[in-house]
Amino acid sequence: MASFSLLSLLGYLETALCAAALCVLIFKKQWRDYAALSCFLAVRMVSNVALTYLHYAWGHSLWSLSRDTVYSLYFYVYWATFAVEAVLTLLIVYGVFRLAMAPLKGLQTLGMLVFKWAAGISVAVALGSAFAPNVKGTALVIAAVSQLQRTQSILTLCLLLFVCFAVRPMGLSYSSRIFGVSLGLGIMSTNDLVQSAWLAFNPKMATAYNLINGVVVCVIMATWTAYFALPEPKRRLIVLPTTSPFLRWNQISQALGDSPGFVAVGGVPPDLFAPAELEVMRRASLKMVTPFPSMGERSIAASASRAI
Amino acid sequence: MKIIVRSFVIALAVTGAIATSYAKAPSAASKVTISKTSAMPVPTCAPGSGSCGMDGW
Repeated sequence: MASFSLLSLLGYLETALCAAALCVLIFKKQWRDYAALSCFLAVRMVSNVALTYLHYAWGHSLWSLSRDTVYSLYFYVYWATFAVEAVLTLLIVYGVFRLAMAPLKGLQTLGMLVFKWAAGISVAVALGSAFAPNVKGTALVIAAVSQLQRTQSILTLCLLLFVCFAVRPMGLSYSSRIFGVSLGLGIMSTNDLVQSAWLAFNPKMATAYNLINGVVVCVIMATWTAYFALPEPKRRLIVLPTTSPFLRWNQISQALGDSPGFVAVGGVPPDLFAPAELEVMRRASLKMVTPFPSMGERSIAASASRAI
Repeated sequence: MKIIVRSFVIALAVTGAIATSYAKAPSAASKVTISKTSAMPVPTCAPGSGSCGMDGW
């Protein structure tokens, strides 16, 4: 009974903290920079409310639906929102990397390109590895979502390590929201991976682990709420030595992928220019040693060259 | 402060790496499962074959 009460309490607290974090994020006008995080919190809040209500309906035989039908609804809402949250977490990681690297535009562009490819290949491999000879239907859905979640957890931990060690060179501090969001995601990812190993060896202890899950998610939501509620210190001036390889790589990366300009080197007919342009060129050529030919002179010269 | 935060982050990453290697053990490969980081009950049975995990709350 105590466990029942504690789990329910944690479930309600999680929904409340999720709503608080979302409200603070919107109130502080940070939802543009952290759009994926806002969507993640909104999806989680809506799914938690729906799942709580469905669970209540399952236990109290509400509506005229059978318990099996309510369970089916619960099952699909749970796993569908889980998949959406896994994808949104990848987008949060992408957004955090973009914000962290904002001062070095060249490296940011290069890093985001590498991230897109790494994330795309990882997701494809994760979903591909869910296919097995005897895995079909809902088992396939669970396997695919689980693999996607594990891939996202590993990518998130990589980002957390990067942000942790690059936080000072990037002019940020441990009070920055970028670090706060990464820290929350990192705790969530580690918890997911530990849970995965735990449930593999102790499948009957899923409910016990739910208690840990409840505490961890409340800590994460509280962390995000605090980071967004407190004023963020401004990014420090980033000073790099002129010989810094980061500076050099940033310059090189900025030049990569630029669409090149084009120069007409020949075969340009005079009709391509407007009369005003031709007049400007003619007047400018008057100051030159060899004057620019007028329209009549040019047509005579052209017919003479054709005759030759 | 810097050392504490870095140690914590490294501990998180190492724990995640160790957990990944455990979950990939051949004995566990067929029954690895994962759930949301949430206190909500986890429905693990396919619809129509029982309602596992719902009695937790």
